[in-house]
Amino acid sequence: MSEIVSTNQAEIHEHPDDGAVHAHISPWQFYVKIFLGLVCLTLLTIGVAYIHLGKLNLIVAIVIATLKASLVVTFFMHLKYDNKFNALMFLSALLFIGIFFAYTMNDTDHRGQIDSAQGTERYSGNGKMAPGGEQPLEHEDDSKMPMHRTVGGSETK
Amino acid sequence: MSTEAATEVASSEHGDGAGHDDHAHAHPKFLAHHFDTPLQQFETAKLGMWAFLAQELLFFSGLFVAYGIYRSWYPETFAVCSHLLSRPMGGGNTIVLLFSSWTAAMAVRAAQLGQKKNTSRFLLVTIFCAFIFLFIKYLEWGHKFHEGLLPGHYFGHQYGGFFGAIPADAEVPDLPAKAHIFFGIYFIMTGVHALHVIVGIGVLIWIWRRNERGDFSKEYFTAVDLAALYWHLVDLIWIYLFPLLYLID
Repeated sequence: MSEIVSTNQAEIHEHPDDGAVHAHISPWQFYVKIFLGLVCLTLLTIGVAYIHLGKLNLIVAIVIATLKASLVVTFFMHLKYDNKFNALMFLSALLFIGIFFAYTMNDTDHRGQIDSAQGTERYSGNGKMAPGGEQPLEHEDDSKMPMHRTVGGSETK
Repeated sequence: MSTEAATEVASSEHGDGAGHDDHAHAHPKFLAHHFDTPLQQFETAKLGMWAFLAQELLFFSGLFVAYGIYRSWYPETFAVCSHLLSRPMGGGNTIVLLFSSWTAAMAVRAAQLGQKKNTSRFLLVTIFCAFIFLFIKYLEWGHKFHEGLLPGHYFGHQYGGFFGAIPADAEVPDLPAKAHIFFGIYFIMTGVHALHVIVGIGVLIWIWRRNERGDFSKEYFTAVDLAALYWHLVDLIWIYLFPLLYLID
């Protein structure tokens, strides 16, 4: 890896492969531009929060945050000019965070839809019947139900 | 492969593994003797730092997953409670942290150019911004404490009586059920983040002192670079925390 980086940098800066550190130094104006870009994106994400887009709000907020994070990682943290192995390590951390999210929330979001043995035949979010579950009992005793069954819409109003 | 290449370069410089003392120019003061070249030392340090940063991301991801689960279970609670947080303060803190990230990047740039005075100046501004961030956080938290917007079973228990019994009919704003869960997540996430800010202040002060002492040069600025990387990570986490906590609907 050090070989790759040093040859790259030798090409860019015409330095010999002398074992010294030849950092890529960006002009300060460039860093100012990145900062201003980050401020603009922050104002944008605040502005968008006042527009009701339903579930899109969350997606837009995460997309803007990811744009900001990319600017910070790529330029402030020099990943663009860095050893590519560092970028690989960073991205693999993100990959595993994705797996963590996907598997965990796939479980927690769908509890109550399939496990009729526990009497959890309703969607936990809205209390509506989930397809494939048991028919509801005539007189339900809510106190025996798992906590997450009774949450969400109805109780909060 | 890469290590072979590195050793090759090194051995060609040093002759047949001759004693390091023979080549004073190849082993400047900052170069630890178990490294062959400054570049190898620099790359090693960076690799270690990125491994640590990856670990930090995974560590925080547990909190973000907890957030995801509970927001998905109680979307309305999260929306209502989010409005109890101060957007001007959260937004202001975002700008403060972004600015401090810029000054940290500028400190590294100054160090790369061998501008000792500028490095110190930018580091000090970064540290100052960190204190502003914490001060605003203190105001925010204080406000929540006074209103009894506390995590877990402290919820609804106004500041001043932590150790007494929790009154069943405490004067709490009319909030949806599970509001205490939102505030539990809010306090833990912003609290662990603030802890990182405090650690960052310590690290940056240490680097500033080393810079004043004259440890760094154009050839050796690794520590400044790594401290800045850590500071950028703190910024990175906040970039996600701000919209997720303060800007729900």
